Amino acid sequence: MTKSMNAAVDLEGGYRRWLRWYPASFRREYGPEILGVLMAGAREGQRRPGPMECLDLVSGGVCVRLRPRVPRSARSAFAAIQLAYLGAAVELAAAITLVATVRDVRSAVFSRNPGYTEGQWHAAVAGHIVPNAVAAGLAVVFWLWMARLIGRGSRWALPVFAAFFALNIYGLVTGLLRDSAVYARPDLAAGIVVCLVEFAAVVCIFRVRFDAPSAAGHDAPGR
Amino acid sequence: MQEATFLILTALAGGRQHGYGIICEVAAISAGRVRLRAGTLYSALDRLRLDGLVEVDGEEIVDSRLRRYYRLTPKGARQLAAEAARLHSDAATALARLGVVGGTAP
Repeated sequence: MTKSMNAAVDLEGGYRRWLRWYPASFRREYGPEILGVLMAGAREGQRRPGPMECLDLVSGGVCVRLRPRVPRSARSAFAAIQLAYLGAAVELAAAITLVATVRDVRSAVFSRNPGYTEGQWHAAVAGHIVPNAVAAGLAVVFWLWMARLIGRGSRWALPVFAAFFALNIYGLVTGLLRDSAVYARPDLAAGIVVCLVEFAAVVCIFRVRFDAPSAAGHDAPGR
Repeated sequence: MQEATFLILTALAGGRQHGYGIICEVAAISAGRVRLRAGTLYSALDRLRLDGLVEVDGEEIVDSRLRRYYRLTPKGARQLAAEAARLHSDAATALARLGVVGGTAP
């Protein structure tokens, strides 16, 4: 094997490694083509992918992984995905609000209930506030997962999201019954915003079914 | 429409092209200003196929490598025409306000 052939083999191996940033389905569809284009554009004797080529493949792979696999014409699906990302942001804000306002809630509870003990407060923190903060953190992950699920046109998106919406409404109502409107107004406001975003997202996901049949949930043409 | 997308569609408006051909066409159209890289090109082509603006128009094996050809769809041609008209209109307005007539400033 000549020196230039060795260089080409090394270079192709390098490109293949960087192509792993793309999803497997994308590599199956375009991998050989991209490799051909990269090799055609390589310099004579080049042994390794250049830094800008690596950066391009990494950014391209991340972009393909994150972006929704629905055509832009599927407006409802696109709106639902954007709402899912918005929901993740709001949920994160709600989690931060919950943690940041613990002292205010404590002050409000103790000032309105002179007989309230430290033991009762610790029990309330362990039983309600900590679980709610953890749940809000997990919900951020859930929203992002939902964005991915909607983007792939999963038929489970609507029932899973509707169940999540119902669960949050239940949480909101039980919070109101526990006087969150009195002691934790910022938390209640964040919860209401989350529920409103969820409601809008559920409506959008529901409407996806009435869009064009090919609107959502297929991989790239030819797959 | 992003500039890279506009240039890819413009490259395909002249006829079907394979990946490397599109890169060369885009470089020529933009007078060397835009040099598309493979990752950017195929991410864009994947999106354009999904949106129905571009489609595959045959493939062949050259030097034991797959070469796939792409062409503009009628929908892609319409969107490119609309975008070109918009850019033309904006450019004409900008030149008129600058008082540039026939490509020269007063």
